[in-house]
Amino acid sequence: MSDVARTARPPTDWNAAPMQRRIRRRYAAERRFRLLGLAALLLSAGFLVFLLATVATNGLSGFSWMFLTGSDATEPARVGIWGALKGSLLTMAVTFALAFPIGVLTAIYLEEYAPRNRWTDMIEVSINNLAAVPSIIFGLLGLAVFLNFMHLPRSAPLVGGITLALMTMPVIVIAGRNAVKAVPPSIRDAALGVGASRIQVVFHHVLPLALPGILTGTIVGMARALGETAPLLMIGMRAFIASPPGGISDPATVLPVQIFLWSDEASRGFVEKTSAAIVVLLVFLLAMNGIAIYLRNKFERRW
Amino acid sequence: MAFWPIALLIAGLGLVAWLAARAKAAAFARAPQRRAHSLPSYHGWYVALWAAIPALLFLLAWTNLSAGLIRQTVLASPEAAALPDFGLRRQAILGEARGLARGDIEQAFQPQARQLAPVYVDAIRFYSLIGLGVAALIGFAGGGWAYTRVAPAFRARTRVERTVMATLLLASLVAVLTTIGIILSLVVEAARFFAAVSPAEFLFGLNWSPQTAIRADQAGSSGAFGAIPLFWGTIFIGAIIAMLVAIPLGLMSAIYLTEYARPVVRRWMKPILEILAGVPTVVYGYFAALTVAPAVRDFGLMLGLPASSESALAAGLVMGIMIIPFVSSMADDSIAAVPQAMRDGSLAMGATTSETIRKVLVPAALPGVVGGVLLAVSRAIGETMIVVMAAGLAANLTLNPFESVTTVTTQIVMLLTGDQEFDSPKTLAAFALGLVLFLVTLALNIIALRVVKKYREAYE
Repeated sequence: MSDVARTARPPTDWNAAPMQRRIRRRYAAERRFRLLGLAALLLSAGFLVFLLATVATNGLSGFSWMFLTGSDATEPARVGIWGALKGSLLTMAVTFALAFPIGVLTAIYLEEYAPRNRWTDMIEVSINNLAAVPSIIFGLLGLAVFLNFMHLPRSAPLVGGITLALMTMPVIVIAGRNAVKAVPPSIRDAALGVGASRIQVVFHHVLPLALPGILTGTIVGMARALGETAPLLMIGMRAFIASPPGGISDPATVLPVQIFLWSDEASRGFVEKTSAAIVVLLVFLLAMNGIAIYLRNKFERRW
Repeated sequence: MAFWPIALLIAGLGLVAWLAARAKAAAFARAPQRRAHSLPSYHGWYVALWAAIPALLFLLAWTNLSAGLIRQTVLASPEAAALPDFGLRRQAILGEARGLARGDIEQAFQPQARQLAPVYVDAIRFYSLIGLGVAALIGFAGGGWAYTRVAPAFRARTRVERTVMATLLLASLVAVLTTIGIILSLVVEAARFFAAVSPAEFLFGLNWSPQTAIRADQAGSSGAFGAIPLFWGTIFIGAIIAMLVAIPLGLMSAIYLTEYARPVVRRWMKPILEILAGVPTVVYGYFAALTVAPAVRDFGLMLGLPASSESALAAGLVMGIMIIPFVSSMADDSIAAVPQAMRDGSLAMGATTSETIRKVLVPAALPGVVGGVLLAVSRAIGETMIVVMAAGLAANLTLNPFESVTTVTTQIVMLLTGDQEFDSPKTLAAFALGLVLFLVTLALNIIALRVVKKYREAYE
């Protein structure tokens, strides 16, 4: 009490005009800040809407039966997307066949068995670094190692798939480790308790429980690989290919590269075809991401 | 008879081995007097592995080896005596004959190739048969030997599990090998480049024109490899313009989502921002080149500035949009990680929400936000398609955002997608640029992770 008496300052009068003005000013600043935040959010989302609307209005007129079944051509009226789509599917098949098993096995090893030593640290550091390396560097790797050193066929889905697999694998490993980590230790203890070996614990109990999480991460990684362009340009998948590839060692192109090639064409008719190809690519990506979200919601389990 | 049919046969052999061994093991597993060490299926796997893996390894080695053997046989044949002695023609004829023999091509242009084709067919058939025979022999021998070991006391499970562990270790080595492969391929090719062009000129030179002339007496035949304009263009687009767009928008979006938005808004807007990150970069590039670049050029001309249709601003703006979700999700995480007590304390002192955010939350979350921005910069400077499609090729050192600049990634693509021999300094320069890009993004990532980690420790 004596403190208040000694400072001899009158208590703040909250109803006085200067104080009211000050409070009003602070509340106005509050509202301005809040509106600024809302504006930033709406602007960011607006860009997305604008982008999708631009592509859709340009592209929807470009669809026809011929567009869906044909391959690249020199005239915009005769081009089709099937060749590039098939190239993409073959490339993704190679990527999945390599990245999924290697990624899952690596995740299991690191999370369940790896001893804590320098060697394991090195594996972890390289995986985290690979996840952050710019994609074009993988293209340089593919060019130097797979084409110039190992002499694999140029422009082929095989090489593209291997290159993208190296890029996708770290994503799968990181997602897989999180999924394996989320399985509670009690499951492992129970399995060990009834006499399962360490391998049986993981392959019979942990892995099935972690699989939805691993698959979600895999689909996200594959979607990223499907939209990737730069590394595939490096390994020559930008050739003019007038017929769909027959196998994984035939020259091929993929959807994003086809978009890039058509966007370079001067002819006006290619604008609508490019946008139509983008619509096809986005439909695939949205479908994949939708499946990933569905899997996550359906199988995610809180232990 | 190619690789795949034989591999399929070996897999079939493995399946038969699995079934046979499991049946044998199941028979003694039923016997009551003595319990077997391993379950029948482990015996099955053990025998199947022995039947399939050595045979597959042999097949892999044989496929690589037999190509040379087939070639030798063909060259030793009387039909090959008429071949021209050396040079491209000989290679072309041989290649065509092989294509004919394998059914890759239907028609040969060179008459000699048509003569050689049957020889090739015979040779391929001969060596394939040898390969098939030896692979089958190895498969049966391995499987048979393993089958004789199947007994109640045999520890099949231990052996199989050891193989599984080895496979796991091998798989995890792929990541290390990839890293080594990246570093080696970049360093080796860059070293060849630096043998021709001095590193000092590359790192500090102001003039970039890699177009080496065809004739030696042409002007500028040596090409100039001063990469400073490229580095400037990369920083200008990726670290300045893009961040001027992405930091305010991303940070404010994150603040609004974490501190103001109702849960329903948050649940809908977060995935929408994530979609922004999932749009392929080639789509952003097309959007930048088709829609943004003309608008930016017109705007620049309206201001009376020299403006190009491939401006730094157009590429930077669109790249900034692409980066927004990265900044916002990193900022979101670090603001959410600020202890609730700090928020409550500030509010209890009478500060408004915005004052709490500006004076307490953002300073507390700053290390995390800075780490996120560094990661975003590292992503922006490694981004390729947007700048290839929307930024120019002219290596200008300019501060005018309406002018054209070029970036490291654009030049890598341009240098490597033409038709030139691989050994010229022009193509090797791409690897030197790639090495610089790799080192810079690596450094940015390491610093960013350090910053974020240190900050996390501060609050735990």
